[in-house]
Amino acid sequence: MADQPLKEGRPPSTSGYTSVLGGAKVAGALNAEGVLRRQAASEDLVVAELAEPSEVGFWRLAVARFLHHRAATASLVILVFIIVTAVIVPVFQRDLYRIQDYTHPYGAPFQFHSRVVALPAGLSIPIPWSDHLFGTDGLGSDEMARLIRGGRVSLTVGLLAMLGYIIIGGVLGALAGYYGGWIDNALMRMTDVIIAMPFILVVIAVTAAFGGVSLTVLVVVIALLGWFEIGRLMRAQFLVLRESEFVQAARALGASDFRIIFRHIIPNSLAPIIVSATLGVSGIILLEAALGFLGLSIPPPEPSWGNMLSTYEEDVLRGTAYLIAFPATALVITALCINLVGDGIRDALDPRQR
Amino acid sequence: MTFYVIRRVFIGILLLVFMSAAFFALTRITPGPPFSTGENPRAHQELITRRLHNLGLDKPWYQQYPAYLNALVHGSLGDSYVNDQPVSKLLMERVPNSVLLLGVSLIVSLLIAIPLGVFAATHQYSKLDTTTSVMSYVGISVPAFVLGIFLLIAGAVWLRHLTGGSFYFPLFGMHTNAATTDLGDLAWHMVLPVTSLSILSIAGFSRFMRASMLEVLHQDYVRTAKAKGLPARAVNYKHALRNAILPIVTLVALQTPQFVSGAIITEGIFSWPGMGLLAFQAALDRDYPVILGVVMLTAALTVLFNLFADIAYAVVDPRIRY
Repeated sequence: MADQPLKEGRPPSTSGYTSVLGGAKVAGALNAEGVLRRQAASEDLVVAELAEPSEVGFWRLAVARFLHHRAATASLVILVFIIVTAVIVPVFQRDLYRIQDYTHPYGAPFQFHSRVVALPAGLSIPIPWSDHLFGTDGLGSDEMARLIRGGRVSLTVGLLAMLGYIIIGGVLGALAGYYGGWIDNALMRMTDVIIAMPFILVVIAVTAAFGGVSLTVLVVVIALLGWFEIGRLMRAQFLVLRESEFVQAARALGASDFRIIFRHIIPNSLAPIIVSATLGVSGIILLEAALGFLGLSIPPPEPSWGNMLSTYEEDVLRGTAYLIAFPATALVITALCINLVGDGIRDALDPRQR
Repeated sequence: MTFYVIRRVFIGILLLVFMSAAFFALTRITPGPPFSTGENPRAHQELITRRLHNLGLDKPWYQQYPAYLNALVHGSLGDSYVNDQPVSKLLMERVPNSVLLLGVSLIVSLLIAIPLGVFAATHQYSKLDTTTSVMSYVGISVPAFVLGIFLLIAGAVWLRHLTGGSFYFPLFGMHTNAATTDLGDLAWHMVLPVTSLSILSIAGFSRFMRASMLEVLHQDYVRTAKAKGLPARAVNYKHALRNAILPIVTLVALQTPQFVSGAIITEGIFSWPGMGLLAFQAALDRDYPVILGVVMLTAALTVLFNLFADIAYAVVDPRIRY
């Protein structure tokens, strides 16, 4: 096409949003004649771009923008490392996290000694080696194995409870926003009730009532009490999109409710939900840790970052602060990375909000 | 306006009744009745059954609830199962402690966070702005108990070692002993918990303040003021700050009712005898009337403050009509 050179000079990053609004109108005007088209294109760079839909899709652009955000990308890498470690390492370590060595309690961390490693060619070299890199706790259990195993619990609770938020909040919010009426009223009153209750207190009261808490109970309780934020967000999205022109157009064409919801509204409502869900996971992980700290999460010997903190808090006066330092650091780094990734996703999905 | 207020009060009361029913049911249908935890092995099952019967706890929740609601309407929150004291008396003992702790830390954190946020916004991308952003990022990712334990170790253990035992902060409670009730001693005991709570809210508030201020600074009337040649100081602090501070006032107003439910974790770490500790202990003991009392008090104040906030909006902003 004639306006090809004009397009090439422009960075692809700005096209995603501007085209949605003016696109149809401008394209219609341009269909008139070739001469007119060229004229219009040379007059206005934006018009040229709108007439020719960008080949780079919304999600590709979002990924590019996300990768541009250095802190977020670095956080994502760290987060992936944490998740992979928490998933894979316990498989090899098996029961290491609960093997107690009474002869070596309170082993200091980062103690190295040299260990001779045999190489295939008959050679052997000494390398620095540590039996318990992060030391051992009062029962002689390996701190690192417990830390990794505990991370598994924290991440599992965070992800599963968020899945629960999305399922409950997403479905109820969508129904309320789309159909309105009594469903909407009931949902809004219900969220009013939940918001008026002190959240952590209610979670504590309910988990305390269950006595011995299991992973399932924890996830279910948190999911049942925390979904309303996602629910409200979903409702707001549906309320706006329901009245939008492209949904009305789809309805006029005879699309069913099912098709309108899944094909038109949900793909367009995802961005804020994804951001809120990402940020929510760090909130849940911190909540689980708080509950563990209060003794209301997974019971020992199964470690979680929260119950490690509460167990080792008693040892602080012995001068073994390192036992607390590891789970505390892991918790803070994980939460920080999730928050940074969440912010990165927000900026990537909605460049207007910067 | 009058009609609006009456309607809102009515809805608020309905909401509270519904909430009390929901929470009442929640405590009753979760497994494990009261008197089953921390049980005395010598207590006879028969005795426990009789006690449950006397309290009406052997009936289903919907048969117990009308009696509770009736008492509630007559201004009684019931008696604690653990020590038979009226719940309202227990609450009145604890509420001032929590309000003192959380109120002081709110004031401290606002005094630090607002100037910090304003400075960060007016000097966007400066060194201090970047530092503030990074610190507040870390701040919102640090859980209360990690910070609390750290301060406990640093302020009460390390400091004691460093100074040879002559200077350190107290670990527990509000007073050194029952005899010392002077303000100095109280303030000394508040240092660590207030620091712990403040650091957490400074992170949130300064971020919020910065965002709010930046938004206002980019508005047309601020540009006009600058274009007229007003000095930057007048533009920033007279024209912009006044509008930027409004959302934070709302935020604070809506957070205030949470004061009465205390800060469970921080109060727990520093053994501060506030509502948080009371509620936590009650939850462990399954002392339903006390838990319900704390939840209802918080909920009632939340509803009330929401109403105040909406009315205040209408008074301040004449464009809002109900």
